Amino acid sequence: MGLLSIIRKIKRKEKEMRILMVGLDNSGKTTIVLRINGEDTSVISPTLGFNIKTIKYDKYILNIWDVGGQRTIRSYWRNYFEQTDGLVWVVDSSDVRRLEDCKMELDNLLKEERLSGASLLILANKQDIQGALTPNEIAKVLNLDAMDRTRHWKIVGCSAYTGEGLLEGFDWLVQDVASRIYILD
Amino acid sequence: MEEDQSKSRTKDIRDESLDPITEKKQAAMLERLSNLHQSRLQESISRKTDNSSPLESTKSFLDRFSEAKRSIQDELDRCRLVSDPESKGRLKSDLEQLSMSIAELEKLVSENSYFLPSYEIRSSLTSISELKERLENANSMLLPKKKFAFKNKAAKKDQNNATSTAETGASDSVSVDIKAPETILPEKLNIQIRDSPGFRNRVDAVLVKHFKSSGKGDFTLSDLKSCEVRLTGRLRAVFIHRLKSCRVFVGPVLGSILIEEVEDCLFMLASHQIRIHHARNTDFYLRVRSRPIVEDSSSVRFAPYHLSYEGLDKDLQDSGLDGDTGNWGNVDDFRWLRAVQSPNWSILPEDERVSIVKISSAETCSEDS
Ligand SMILES: Nc1nc2c(ncn2[C@@H]2O[C@H](COP(=O)(O)OP(=O)(O)O)[C@@H](O)[C@H]2O)c(=O)[nH]1
Ligand SMILES: [Mg+2]
Repeated sequence: MGLLSIIRKIKRKEKEMRILMVGLDNSGKTTIVLRINGEDTSVISPTLGFNIKTIKYDKYILNIWDVGGQRTIRSYWRNYFEQTDGLVWVVDSSDVRRLEDCKMELDNLLKEERLSGASLLILANKQDIQGALTPNEIAKVLNLDAMDRTRHWKIVGCSAYTGEGLLEGFDWLVQDVASRIYILD
Repeated sequence: MEEDQSKSRTKDIRDESLDPITEKKQAAMLERLSNLHQSRLQESISRKTDNSSPLESTKSFLDRFSEAKRSIQDELDRCRLVSDPESKGRLKSDLEQLSMSIAELEKLVSENSYFLPSYEIRSSLTSISELKERLENANSMLLPKKKFAFKNKAAKKDQNNATSTAETGASDSVSVDIKAPETILPEKLNIQIRDSPGFRNRVDAVLVKHFKSSGKGDFTLSDLKSCEVRLTGRLRAVFIHRLKSCRVFVGPVLGSILIEEVEDCLFMLASHQIRIHHARNTDFYLRVRSRPIVEDSSSVRFAPYHLSYEGLDKDLQDSGLDGDTGNWGNVDDFRWLRAVQSPNWSILPEDERVSIVKISSAETCSEDS
């Protein structure tokens, strides 16, 4: 039996999912994770390295890895790819200048073989900011229509401030991952 | 389609005042999220009271962690040294067992991460990736025929790119799909994106703008030289890019201020988060809720916010920025991860600070004018 199948089996037993949060620095990853977890979001310092949260969500245990987006540490993202079931790519919808950078980093990430099976949720965050690009516009800039056919993905507009869109996004992600991994239950 | 639904939703929250239904929905949403948290806390408390509780102290975590780490290392060493055929036959399953032990260890860290100090999390995870690296080395050394990998297709590419991995220092030597960033040129975006509001490409100008106190917008300052900028009222986000020899005074920002490439400037800013990249020879007068960060910067100095305009106190209060947290001086240099003070930033000596900066309302023209 391959190592992969052993690990999948363990995970299936415990109904665990491993979710990786990535995106440029300042996009709102940490705020989103705390918000989903119902925690205080009034003081958040920029993330050095990473935070890990274990969250119970429906009948699943999510291990959420919130990885710092600073340029100096983006090359470390790959250390977290192994066994990732769900990928959340967070976009600051008001940061028009860095959208190109954002597209490039996302494209690079999706080339990563170890992530090829992971479901992809794109959160167009900060929709509460007047003038933020809509999820439609973000989808165009990121050229999501050109995505590999085999990839399961969805883009959702959200705001970590108001909380809107977050549950819609995570509900989809968890369901999508569950339908792939726990199908044999 | 998926994207279409989100469009109407985003329209709702962009309206200046929320309609009652949306407001109610949002309140319900926040409540649902906070209930989740409450029930989790409850669970954690009840877990604490029965004896199967997780290790809720750093010390016992560290003890358990280092014990597990040591036994994994010992087992790895043993595997490397086996020579008799019988043990060799068992190697594959032994190594698989080791991989599971490492996964267990990773889970231990994750489960305890909510109370562990971030330094401990960081060093634990560094240890784990070292163990993984050693395991993968052992795998490729001891089981040469069947390559250890979580993927098969990329195996061929791996060999071609082997040198680039070494350069980028990935800790797991088997995976090499990422190319060096400079080999991937960003395709030019072929769709026209509207620019966000801002002051751009100006020299020797005084740039003044007032925002409504219900401010929900963002604003950009970019490519300015020898300018003085005064932004009063409230904003949700500010982006600052490529400024030289400028003086910049900004009212409270509910979200974050992102600063890149500034030189010989003075900034007076109030915000929930302030991130400073590539700044040189610049003074920052800050009111900030979280710890400001600097990255790739030098000769930057910090002092408390010292601005005054009519209505500022109310604006600060409405933005959750009333009362100084003292964080203006708690700067984290992301390029300097040692306990001793970073040489890149310092506290601005009191006798070198500017006195309070007043902006009279006559000077500020309205956003709508
Ligand atoms: N207006 C607004 N600001 C947000 C939102 N989400 C996050 N922010 C702000 O954006 C900044 C960066 O957030 P953070 O979670 O630290 O980003 P990270 O670097 O991706 O983890 C913080 O100042 C947040 O308050 C949002 O939905 N709306
Ligand atoms: Mg963060």
